[in-house]
Amino acid sequence: MATIQAGRRRRRRRLRPAWRNTLTGWSFILPNLLGFGVFTLVPVLALFYYAFTDWNIFGVAEWVGVDNFTRMLGDDSFFTALRNTLYYTALHIPLTMGAALGLALLLNRKLRGVAFFRTVAFFPYITSIVAIAQVWNLLFSPQYGPINALLRALGAANPPGWTVSADWSMPAVIIVSTWREMGYYMLIFLAGLQTIPNQLYEAARIDGAGSWQRFRNITLPSLRPTTFFVVVMLTIGSFKVFDLILLLTDGGPGQSTLVLSQYIYQKGFEENQFGYASAVSVVLFAICFAITVVQFAVNKRRAS
Amino acid sequence: MKRSISMALGVVSAVSLLLAGCGDDAGSPAAAPTGPVTLTLGGWTLASTPEFKALADGFHEANPNVTVELKEYDATNYDTQMIADLAAKKAPDLYIQKNLKPFYTYQSGKQLLDVSDVAKQLGDKVGGLSAYQVDGKTWAIPYRQDSWVLFYNRALFDKAGVEYPDGSWTWDDYAAASKRVTTGLKGAGSKAFGDYQHNWQSTVQGFALAQTPGAKLDSGDFGYLKPYYTRALDLQSAGAQQAYGTVTTNKLTYQSQFGKQQAAMMLMGTWYIATLLKQQSTGDAENFAWGMAPAPQLDASTTGTSKKPITFGDPTGLGINPAIDKQKITAAKAFLAYAAGEQGAKKLASIGVTPADTGSVTQDLFALKGMPTDELSKFTFSTHDTKPENPVSKHTAALQNILNDAHSAVLSGSKPVDSAISAAQDRAKNEVLKG
Repeated sequence: MATIQAGRRRRRRRLRPAWRNTLTGWSFILPNLLGFGVFTLVPVLALFYYAFTDWNIFGVAEWVGVDNFTRMLGDDSFFTALRNTLYYTALHIPLTMGAALGLALLLNRKLRGVAFFRTVAFFPYITSIVAIAQVWNLLFSPQYGPINALLRALGAANPPGWTVSADWSMPAVIIVSTWREMGYYMLIFLAGLQTIPNQLYEAARIDGAGSWQRFRNITLPSLRPTTFFVVVMLTIGSFKVFDLILLLTDGGPGQSTLVLSQYIYQKGFEENQFGYASAVSVVLFAICFAITVVQFAVNKRRAS
Repeated sequence: MKRSISMALGVVSAVSLLLAGCGDDAGSPAAAPTGPVTLTLGGWTLASTPEFKALADGFHEANPNVTVELKEYDATNYDTQMIADLAAKKAPDLYIQKNLKPFYTYQSGKQLLDVSDVAKQLGDKVGGLSAYQVDGKTWAIPYRQDSWVLFYNRALFDKAGVEYPDGSWTWDDYAAASKRVTTGLKGAGSKAFGDYQHNWQSTVQGFALAQTPGAKLDSGDFGYLKPYYTRALDLQSAGAQQAYGTVTTNKLTYQSQFGKQQAAMMLMGTWYIATLLKQQSTGDAENFAWGMAPAPQLDASTTGTSKKPITFGDPTGLGINPAIDKQKITAAKAFLAYAAGEQGAKKLASIGVTPADTGSVTQDLFALKGMPTDELSKFTFSTHDTKPENPVSKHTAALQNILNDAHSAVLSGSKPVDSAISAAQDRAKNEVLKG
């Protein structure tokens, strides 16, 4: 009898701290969770409903089934935006990753003023994007900009028109976004590099491995979790690129830099077609989701 | 444990407060107004847009019983913010129709009260009224009607040795004059250009749509744009104006280009009068003699001071939010009538703003310090046939976005005029007009 009671008491004691821990945990994340729920989760769920309606924000959203999606199939502007988004993503991810990794390797050594250089590389990321766009636009100015002045001095007879040329506007945007984001990913790579135990390098050196072999066989494999994180973040970030393009080229000239998120903004907030804009958002979400799932699967297979 | 209970209570009380707030404006009883009334009016950047305060104060002076409180919005995102507020039932009693582009959204979305009785009372002295009429009813009252005119810098014309505009210009005369001024200025050692063309699509498309006979935005046929773009490209390549790429990448402002004497001519809306007067008095613009001439015309049939030159411009209107407290409607309508009527017009002219009733204020406006005194400027201000830039239709916003893409494609040299126009036509047909 006594032992049973003792057992019960023990169980209760064991339960109560767990319950308390859960509550404490919840109370810590509650402020953020509330904000996330009200301002992100609810609108996102609503989005999936509105994607199947015709809604101009006032009055009632009228259910139209898959009309918005069939309309999208015949919408050339949507496909232009999709193509441009893929173009941006395909160049932006490898370039940013390469630049970030290169910087991280460079700044992972013991050299004088390394803290200063790390700060310098990180600076673009914390600078106001409006200021960045303004200054880069001045630099890119086809007639009077310093970039083209330099190119002319180097002998280019017809330097590109950059942000005012349909062919060069996307490269210009990619250059600026790579420059802006490489510092942030450099920081993540730096953190990854510092977790690699030095003994591995020492052992490799003793075995006679050159620096390229050390990089290929130690650094890269050890960085895999970091690289995976960077790729996922970069992919999602590239697909929803918006602010930089809006400020730098506003989708132009013509539709040469129109990307999906800007198309959503145009349809929704400029033309008040919130149903159609929601449908395009759902497609963008599906694309990001699918690619992320594939990336996770690939990563898992490689890890095992 | 205790903390979580108090937190839960906090959440419950916050939610109930929200619910109470939502239920507040349901079914207010209609009754005669008793005592003082306070109306709220939505406007943008109040510090640099004095017209709202001028009208509110003027109306309060004439009707001490009614106070008009201003609610400030952001100038560039005005319509987005206003639409959000209207949808959330948090919008002011009265709000401005900044231009005609979103008017369809407001009107078809039932966010405007029928103000036909105010329109009837005002009669035909007010310009731009017809733009707000749908199904035989009037949904907003214009209190400003800006029109695009040609501003020119007399000092630069003198320096270049070219005669001032005389009101007889077609677009070809304008282009020729701009080139002559550029050459003349270069000879005199000045770096200024013949004209400045801002990067807005209206600077080309507004005139093309207003002046070309038979041109209609929602016809989806944009061939009428071709001669206007050909001329704009020609002026650009002749070096008579800053290149489009320089305007966009260097974020040139039209205020500084004309105000700092970087260009001898500029086509701009009459709202620039107030800005120029103010900037010349504060030193933000240089002091020079300037004048206004009618916008260049398509052909000689509308040139000369015996004719009515055709130009474009959207009216700025006042509308009433249907969610207004029913007791306040009479006062709100009285405010509309005041703002669009002669009293309001005089008040607006006193700060250099172009009212909808231009006829009754030309004298007052031209009496302001810094205004030109020549007859052609007065003629330009008071006489014009102003067509709307954004004819009211369900498709206007979407079509203007398509044409804006065409604008940047052509002027940046990314696409030839013909292919840009046909691409815009295809898009209009496939993406907008079939729906």
